Amino acid sequence: MRILVAEDDVISRTLLERTLQRAGYAVISVENGAQAIAELVKHDAPRLALLDWIMPEMDGVEVCREIRRRKEQAYTYLILLSSRESKGDIVAGLESGADDYLTKPFNVDELKARLRTGHRILELEDHLVEARESMRFQATHDLLTSLWNRGVILELMSHEIMRSRRERSCTAVMMCDIDHFKSVNDQFGHAVGDDVLREVARRLHNSVRSYDMVGRYGGEEFLVALNKCNPESAVSRAENLREKIAGRPIQTGGKPVSVTISIGLALSSEFTQSTVEEIMHQADMALYAAKGAGRNCVRVAQPSAGAKPTEEQPKETQVLMP
Amino acid sequence: MEKQPMETAVEQPRQNDWDLNELIERIDGDQELLRELLVMFREDAQINLEKTRNAIGTGDYEGLSRTAHTMKGMLKNLSMGAAAETAAALEQASRENRQGDSGQLLGKLVKELERILPEVEAQLAGVRL
Repeated sequence: MRILVAEDDVISRTLLERTLQRAGYAVISVENGAQAIAELVKHDAPRLALLDWIMPEMDGVEVCREIRRRKEQAYTYLILLSSRESKGDIVAGLESGADDYLTKPFNVDELKARLRTGHRILELEDHLVEARESMRFQATHDLLTSLWNRGVILELMSHEIMRSRRERSCTAVMMCDIDHFKSVNDQFGHAVGDDVLREVARRLHNSVRSYDMVGRYGGEEFLVALNKCNPESAVSRAENLREKIAGRPIQTGGKPVSVTISIGLALSSEFTQSTVEEIMHQADMALYAAKGAGRNCVRVAQPSAGAKPTEEQPKETQVLMP
Repeated sequence: MEKQPMETAVEQPRQNDWDLNELIERIDGDQELLRELLVMFREDAQINLEKTRNAIGTGDYEGLSRTAHTMKGMLKNLSMGAAAETAAALEQASRENRQGDSGQLLGKLVKELERILPEVEAQLAGVRL
């Protein structure tokens, strides 16, 4: 494990370096507090640090304060080293954000034992961060497909539509639905159905740019939002997604299953006066039209259909498929 | 109880000047490191003494306190207990701007170091063999 030693006195520094190296640490040595900060804020900074209290440029206590102020980083275990021994000093050192305190000259066994405590704290912190990240993923992603879940994709898409309005660009909203999915489940069982959902999700995700968004909207329904999308190319990009699914069968436990998707497309630039919910509704209506036109096709919501087209008006959506 | 006459210690007991065994134990018997540390000490002690003299000469008590602090740490690390205590007293006196005491303590520290340096030289000569 790597450790930072900040100590201006060359003899103390050499003693610490050697002792730590012998204990198996990779030591990074600096001579003052400013250099210590520079090392500790690096991307791949050591997570353990031994800081002398009195140093030029910036003392150990100031280094502790500065490191604790920057909360965005992974936790660094800080030990202050000093020849100061009064209770007041110890309290001031710990209040500055130090985790522990050692008086000089240090006892080797005590130093090692205190560093082991540091290791334990850092391991605990890593486990907590891991658990938090895992929970954050679960709270924002769909369990089966690992795509954004419904709540998150709707929120992200709303932000994107608002932004495209400010920037006078266009967000393409695509409501994608697997055709006759119920019959896949009925015919092959739910395990195969789940494989199909996972593979459709994977293909959709892999077919868009990294800054586009794909989420699972419902059972077999997916929502795709393309940021800064050129309105003229939106249809061909939707066609591309449709083709990615229809183009080759999905391998499910050795059994290939052919599925297709229907896509309803709404361009935010065509509905500048509509709310996000209304745009979603437009995409939904276009999807309905695609289903009505025989499925495995793309339909585009038309602004001429009005802000609230009814289900009885599929004819008003433009037929784009050959 | 019979009253003892106050004795003024002219010389500190030798073994209190430098506990070499404690130092060797601290560095786990690493002779190479011992030599390295002593060479550093030989240079640093002179440099720091020079700094303290200059600081007293110019009345820079803040600088004096800092240098005394550095020397205290160095001496403690090398198990030179008596000199470390004098350096600590010098650090305290200079922090409180006690000019007379500072001068006296610096004199004491110089004497203590003068006693240690030949031992350090002897040790270096021995370690080299």
